[in-house]
Amino acid sequence: MLLEVKNLNTFYGLSHVLQNISLTVDRGEIVALLGRNGMGKSTTLKSIMGLAKPRSGKVVYGGLNLAGKPPYKIAQAGLGFIPEDRRIFNNLTVLENLNMGAKNQGGNAGSTGQNRWNLERVFATFPWMKDRIAQSGQFLSGGEQQMLAIGRALMGNPELLLVDEPTEGLAPLIVKQVRDVLKEINQAGMTILLVEHNYKVATSLANRVYLMGKARIGFEGTVQELESKPDVKQDFLEV
Amino acid sequence: MIAKKSAPSWKQWVFPCLVGVILLAYPWVLGTVYTNIFIYFAIFSVFAASLNMLVSYLGVLSFGHALFYGGGAYATALFLDHIEGLGLFTVILIGGAAGAALGLIVSPLLNRVKATAFALLTLALGQLAYMACLKLRFITYGEDGVGGFPIPDLTLPGIASINMMTAENFYYLAVVVLSLCLLLMWFLTKTPFGSIMIGIRDNPDRVDFLGFNLPMTKAIVFVISGFFAGIAGAVYALFQNLVTPDGAFHIMTSFTPIMMLFVGGIGTFAGPIVGSGVMTIIEELATRYTTQIALFNGILLVLVVMYFRTGFVGLYLLIREKLFQKESS
Repeated sequence: MLLEVKNLNTFYGLSHVLQNISLTVDRGEIVALLGRNGMGKSTTLKSIMGLAKPRSGKVVYGGLNLAGKPPYKIAQAGLGFIPEDRRIFNNLTVLENLNMGAKNQGGNAGSTGQNRWNLERVFATFPWMKDRIAQSGQFLSGGEQQMLAIGRALMGNPELLLVDEPTEGLAPLIVKQVRDVLKEINQAGMTILLVEHNYKVATSLANRVYLMGKARIGFEGTVQELESKPDVKQDFLEV
Repeated sequence: MIAKKSAPSWKQWVFPCLVGVILLAYPWVLGTVYTNIFIYFAIFSVFAASLNMLVSYLGVLSFGHALFYGGGAYATALFLDHIEGLGLFTVILIGGAAGAALGLIVSPLLNRVKATAFALLTLALGQLAYMACLKLRFITYGEDGVGGFPIPDLTLPGIASINMMTAENFYYLAVVVLSLCLLLMWFLTKTPFGSIMIGIRDNPDRVDFLGFNLPMTKAIVFVISGFFAGIAGAVYALFQNLVTPDGAFHIMTSFTPIMMLFVGGIGTFAGPIVGSGVMTIIEELATRYTTQIALFNGILLVLVVMYFRTGFVGLYLLIREKLFQKESS
């Protein structure tokens, strides 16, 4: 087990936005966190990453409890984070954005030689970046910004990548590209915890899924198990 | 792209050489009064540029930057007052070190607050320094300030000893020291550390989860900014040969570089330098007709904030873009 979240509770002011969240992620798998808007999916990732401080519970990673640690310490422990919304540094160039990600090395213990992410390998995955290294981040399209955010996270060689709504607001063709990239990265050995509102994308990538409803986990199982329970699907996903 | 790269390289040297020649000839062409005005401009350029590191690169507004500037000025003045035989560059560096030390001391406090609270906390710290300076008479001589301390000669061992009490000689020293400061600050913005600073302005959380120790990084910026403000203060102390609470720590000493930044253009490196130049020129022109200089500064600030928030640098970029579009169409 790579990551174990145990009974995590987070508050925004007085509202109890995460209630006893528990989940696990094993090495090499893609785990998807699904649910309607406002159920606490993004907050779960932020709480793991330290961007929202959990009030109680544990985030056990590599034998250490990371809950309550500042984000930079959690990043240094080996977690990478790709946030939703505008994902990159607008006033830095493509190259500077990537180099910002490269500061934090030492997360992925096994990433030596061929498996190690560096500029060359990021450019091999995203060939367009190589021709546009000097371009300012704000002039990239939404899809390109998302790719750059993924590239930047990879530059830090994390062991586990937390990805928040990677396809939100992107055109269908770009959604497919982002999906394929995530699949490719996973096949190269990266473990991914994914929050995704696009059910098709999520289930085509994930090995296991957790469904969230009203600040709690309501279902956990494989994609096949979920498909065989239409009532659960209806309860947690359909609007 | 290729054509641009192979363009004759002498062209890019024309502008710096021209600036160099103008700077060299300036005191001999324009005389002592304008030389002194230029020294003021240069001191405030560096002071405003050190503030710019916080405003344009870290994204926080300090209302008490005089803390570092005044700290540098007082440190230089007091060291010269109490210790004999200090070298010129030593005391300037002492000023910088004092500014840096103050930056280090206040950084744990400043790191706890953001935005408006940051502005108010810096305001409070600046005012605290002002009051402390007035009250700690046994150190600072209170309202009288520290004055009449010896100004060391610039000694180049075995070559020459240059008297710094003349306006022309001091002009060259100030220009060299302050240009060096500006160059160093410019260089810093081009390093990876500069990228981190811009990243913090864009989105501090993002820098945090990429694995950078945010409080530490900000503290380093406060120290560097304090250092350069301290150097500006040190040169000011040497130039005036008198440091008073009003000159060093007064609230206007904090607000002047803020005005310069707004007038010159926030978010650019040239902004504080241009702003310092514009405000110095306006002040000089205004004093010929009235003693109410603040009136002119106020009107200028209102115009800038109302009609061209990107300041003079933004205005220049806009005009250049318009002209360029006309040419190309």
